[in-house]
Amino acid sequence: MSKKIIYGLVGAAVVFFIISLIIFLQSDSSAEKAKPAEAQSKSVEKVEEPEFINLKVFFYTERSRYMRPVLYELEFPPIREDLYLKFMDLLLKGEENYIKPIPEGVTLRSLYYIEDENLLVLDFNEELIIKFPAGTGTELEFIYFFVDNFCYNFKEIKKVMFSVAGNNIKTLTGHIDMENPFYPNYGYLIDQ
Amino acid sequence: MTKFMKYKSLLLVLSLLVSFPVFSLTVNIRSFDHEGFTRLVFEGDSGFEYKIESSKKGLEIRLNKKLTIKSSITTFHDSRLIDKIIHKVERKKSSFTVKMKSPYTIDRHFVLERPFRLVFDLVKSPGEERIQQSTGMKKYGNVQQEDQDFNYERPKKRTLIERICIDPGHGGSNFGAIGKSNLMEKDITLKVSKKLKRLIESRLGLRVIMTRTGDAEVSLDSRAALANNQKANMFISIHVNGSFRKAANGPETFFVSLKATDQEAFRLAEKENKSFEEIDKMAEDDELKLILWNMAQTEYIKDSSKLAEFIQNELNILLHTTNRGVKQAPFKVLMQAAMPAVLVEIAFLSNPAEEKKLKKDSFLEEVALAIYTGINKYIYYQNSRYY
Repeated sequence: MSKKIIYGLVGAAVVFFIISLIIFLQSDSSAEKAKPAEAQSKSVEKVEEPEFINLKVFFYTERSRYMRPVLYELEFPPIREDLYLKFMDLLLKGEENYIKPIPEGVTLRSLYYIEDENLLVLDFNEELIIKFPAGTGTELEFIYFFVDNFCYNFKEIKKVMFSVAGNNIKTLTGHIDMENPFYPNYGYLIDQ
Repeated sequence: MTKFMKYKSLLLVLSLLVSFPVFSLTVNIRSFDHEGFTRLVFEGDSGFEYKIESSKKGLEIRLNKKLTIKSSITTFHDSRLIDKIIHKVERKKSSFTVKMKSPYTIDRHFVLERPFRLVFDLVKSPGEERIQQSTGMKKYGNVQQEDQDFNYERPKKRTLIERICIDPGHGGSNFGAIGKSNLMEKDITLKVSKKLKRLIESRLGLRVIMTRTGDAEVSLDSRAALANNQKANMFISIHVNGSFRKAANGPETFFVSLKATDQEAFRLAEKENKSFEEIDKMAEDDELKLILWNMAQTEYIKDSSKLAEFIQNELNILLHTTNRGVKQAPFKVLMQAAMPAVLVEIAFLSNPAEEKKLKKDSFLEEVALAIYTGINKYIYYQNSRYY
């Protein structure tokens, strides 16, 4: 074999090796690149996957003066107030076979949370004053239905204040002072 | 002839009624000397209403009934303070005149039930008391020292209960709770309050102030203000309850508290789940004390709680209700009262069975008597703390 042929064959082998090496390295690097891409796609999926929160909503029954819990699962929205609103919807809607201590026609106008004071403010429409049935019992049932449920389920809320059409009220029907915020009274709950 | 016979039999029955002492009253009188006071007890075989007149010479107790015994004089040789008691009958009504050996003051007087007893604790007049105390200081010097050593807490100031403010809830255009038969809370509270007033005045001889005597609208602030201005020693607000639950029943007595917790319900909840205990502690932060409250009632919470307890116990006994316990809530009408203050919810107007009861005058009479007995026991308890 002539030297030329040998050099040619060696050169071809070197070129083949280099090309194979390049191909190998490229495939390896592309595989490496694929990994974070895959991870990224996975993390994107995680963000999109909704988170849920388990809640205990306490309702009154005809037989007992203590509220009993009903379990719910709510989707965790990005804004905290939205979660409170969803929770409020559950309270206003009520539950079958349980008593809802809210007169018909009463709706929530707005809700806001003051973080510095750990205070939740619930503002109802005027129907609350117009239609509320008089009595110490009715007032206490209404007040602690909201206060206990919110404070029990959301630890950041330590007190709840009520207003009607944006204004503070003295009492609902002449009994309980409504000008100050309410702290929870878990004596109304039975956690079974 | 038959008409004549009818009149004859009627006359016979009437004459029997007159001659037979159906409405007769017997009163036993007794007196004992205790350390620091003399107790005088009039025990009747049935209850009686009375009026008290006190003068330097003695004490006069006028009854609304005539005793079965005729006029008499009872002498008390061994008594430190009482000389004799003269029983007189004038205009078919009996009266007792208590003659004293030395100047005196009525330290307290109260009524006990079953059997009915009108009790007076009498002490020598303040002038004499002072002399006694000044001599007693030297004599009992060691006893005082002993008290200090044991850190015995003596009440600092003594306030005699002289005036009671009764607050009939709602009124005027503020109807309060309304039953299915259109029975209104404002009417029931006024009726019970008037009955209670009569009982307190006639049996305890105390002055009663009413926040309203008719169907008038009175603001919550002015109710407490009236009691404060009149320097009442006790504030009793009368209400009828309502609930979203028709089955809710029974009387409840409330007082204002810093800790907004229903003790009985709390204990039950605690039994069921201990996590409540942890959560409850969260609510007891200092912030609570700051907000709860800039109120006159703060100073009297302990006394109010005791008063509520006495009233609730009597309501439970008399109305045969299960003990729902004394409750605590921030009542607007109680917050500015500068005296022991409670709010009594006598029954639920939202409960059809209790609404029926609330229509009956006899039931309201029983409720008033139960509240009165609770008040009387509280007065006795308060007075006994000082001796």
